[in-house]
Amino acid sequence: MQGIIRTIRDGSGFDILLLGLALLYLIIFSAFPIIYNIIMSLQTVDMFTLTSFNRPFVGLQNYYDIFSQPVAGTIFWNTVKFVVLSIVFQLSIGFGLALFFQQDFPGASYLRGLFLAGWIMPALVVGAIWKWLFAGDFGVINYALTSLGIADDRIFWLSDPNVALYAVIIANIWLGIPFNMILLSVGLASIPRDVYEAAELDGAGVFERFRSITLPLMRAQLGAVISLGVIFTLQQFDLIAALTQGGPADSSNVAQYWSWQFSFQTYEISLGSAVSVLMIIFVIVVAAVYVRSTRHEHSY
Amino acid sequence: MKAVMKWIAAASLFMSGAAQAEPVTLDIWTIDRPDQYMYLLKDEFEQSHPDIKLNIKTVQFRDMVNDLARATATGESPDVTYIDNPEVALFASRGLLLDLGPMLAESKVIKKEDIFPGPLSSVTWDGKIYGIPRGANTLALYYNADMFKATGLDPDNPPKTWDELYAAAKKLSDPAKNIYGLAFSAVATEEGTFQFLPWLQMAGGDYNKVDTEGGIKVLDFWGKLLDEKLASPDTLIRSQFDSTGTFNAGNAAMAISGPWELPRMGREAKFDYRAALLPIPQEGATRASALGEGDNVILAKSEHPKEAFILLEFLYSKMPDVWNRFGFVPAANVKSNDPKTPAIYAVFEESMKYARNRGPHPEWPKISKAIYTAIQSSLTHQSDAKTALGTAQKQIDAVLNK
Repeated sequence: MQGIIRTIRDGSGFDILLLGLALLYLIIFSAFPIIYNIIMSLQTVDMFTLTSFNRPFVGLQNYYDIFSQPVAGTIFWNTVKFVVLSIVFQLSIGFGLALFFQQDFPGASYLRGLFLAGWIMPALVVGAIWKWLFAGDFGVINYALTSLGIADDRIFWLSDPNVALYAVIIANIWLGIPFNMILLSVGLASIPRDVYEAAELDGAGVFERFRSITLPLMRAQLGAVISLGVIFTLQQFDLIAALTQGGPADSSNVAQYWSWQFSFQTYEISLGSAVSVLMIIFVIVVAAVYVRSTRHEHSY
Repeated sequence: MKAVMKWIAAASLFMSGAAQAEPVTLDIWTIDRPDQYMYLLKDEFEQSHPDIKLNIKTVQFRDMVNDLARATATGESPDVTYIDNPEVALFASRGLLLDLGPMLAESKVIKKEDIFPGPLSSVTWDGKIYGIPRGANTLALYYNADMFKATGLDPDNPPKTWDELYAAAKKLSDPAKNIYGLAFSAVATEEGTFQFLPWLQMAGGDYNKVDTEGGIKVLDFWGKLLDEKLASPDTLIRSQFDSTGTFNAGNAAMAISGPWELPRMGREAKFDYRAALLPIPQEGATRASALGEGDNVILAKSEHPKEAFILLEFLYSKMPDVWNRFGFVPAANVKSNDPKTPAIYAVFEESMKYARNRGPHPEWPKISKAIYTAIQSSLTHQSDAKTALGTAQKQIDAVLNK
């Protein structure tokens, strides 16, 4: 007994204890739900059999059912568009703002802080506000566009099937910019000033400095922001729920919302699980890329 | 003096309580807010039935089916709960609800024959009765009589057929003033199906037979309203409540919705609003209307079925007051006590006679999804009405023939 206490207090027992706690946490809150989800995706599950393990196994039938849905193709491409466009614009605008606020001008840090306001707001609230802005008949955006003469007629942002997905993407870009900006600002701040000064003395111009110093030294941060961005975008649910609910006619539906619709609207829980398993696999690939990108981290 | 009275009252309550058996507590789930139905009736019930206490828990409408299913799986289900009409079959078919037949046969309060056929079918599964409607709602055509007058239409003679509805919508719509002819909801949820079914039933068809000539006719008609901007393109994403909001604000001259709108309409609509029966396809066609609202059911596992049934009887006995107090239309043939807005009440009361239940079917959400998906893909011109309804029929058949 004495021995155990001693090893916990100042021996390897302490390390094992800490490791054990973390592992236990991971097993209970990450591994178990993921495995449970995978099992459900191979079974026939409805609400009434949620609590029992004793359910018929159907192999890959659920996956087959998903891919044979007529909307599967639409939803796949919508998800790709949603993720790629969101990330590209969140990252480039966020990076641009981070570089901008890196400049020394009065109030730079306050303004940067203010930008976080959008990130702090719950996505449901953001969705409700954008819904007003986008409203077809009385929305501010349409009012501005028509009175400035940019658009002849009102655009039905949320009910025109050709536009709805892009409306959701625009709102999501807005929501993601502050997060990108802050993470990248931190990265920029950690690049030593003297590297730039030395390059400047050697005659490197602004773009040359950005290309050969900022970008390579930001590699790890960019990798992190992109991978986290993919994950956040793939779990963006509230915004879609608040804006279009995937409609009209699934034109703005994406995988994560589709999964929810299966599980909680038509109660086909096994199909919902199958969609989310496919998403998990994709996220694991992204995470692997992220881990690789940080492993090659520069040291200077 | 007041304090003394209170003490005496408390003491006498205590004595009478002590003289009786331990009071039974019923666990109740409801979707009501504290100023609605179950909460308002709780005090009245407990006063008239001192031996039964009610323990009420509010569950969000959209969570009710999920929560109830989970609770029945883990054995923590309530004694009595609210269930939305089309979901009764789901729980009844799994034997989770108490068959009320034997107690109904003895009941002096509830007469099965009095309940309207629509509501009765919503609580019936496999020939047995599993719930008592707490009230009902249905659809009607609201219209802005002031706008009718301003455009030269006769407010005492609202549209009776689809052609008349179209003509009126065309005349009333005024893009310059941001006024649409008609507001309704074709949203991709249960509400879209709810609004669509009566049209389909009037034109020939039902939830189990959607790929009919009538179905195509309805979708083409709805498509025409949207394409010609007689109804807002946002009809595709607005709930009934949101759509009617535009009517209240004067941005739509007519609206299709139910009696639940009346409290808000009374506050917000600054014009002479009236109601009419849903227009029919042509003179002499069969009428149909939607059936909404929900039912009070007893769970099969309840330990106090007798007391629970007493509560159901009590709730049913409030049917003559549901219009004035809760905004429901009576689900049974009772005389309403001095109904408010009597002209509109009369319309809904008559409409109730044509109200048909959705389903019943244990997998109703899947059927409903097939229907609203067809509506949306046709109205957005992703496919024509015939193809959309054909696809829906295949999905519905797959559910029905399982």
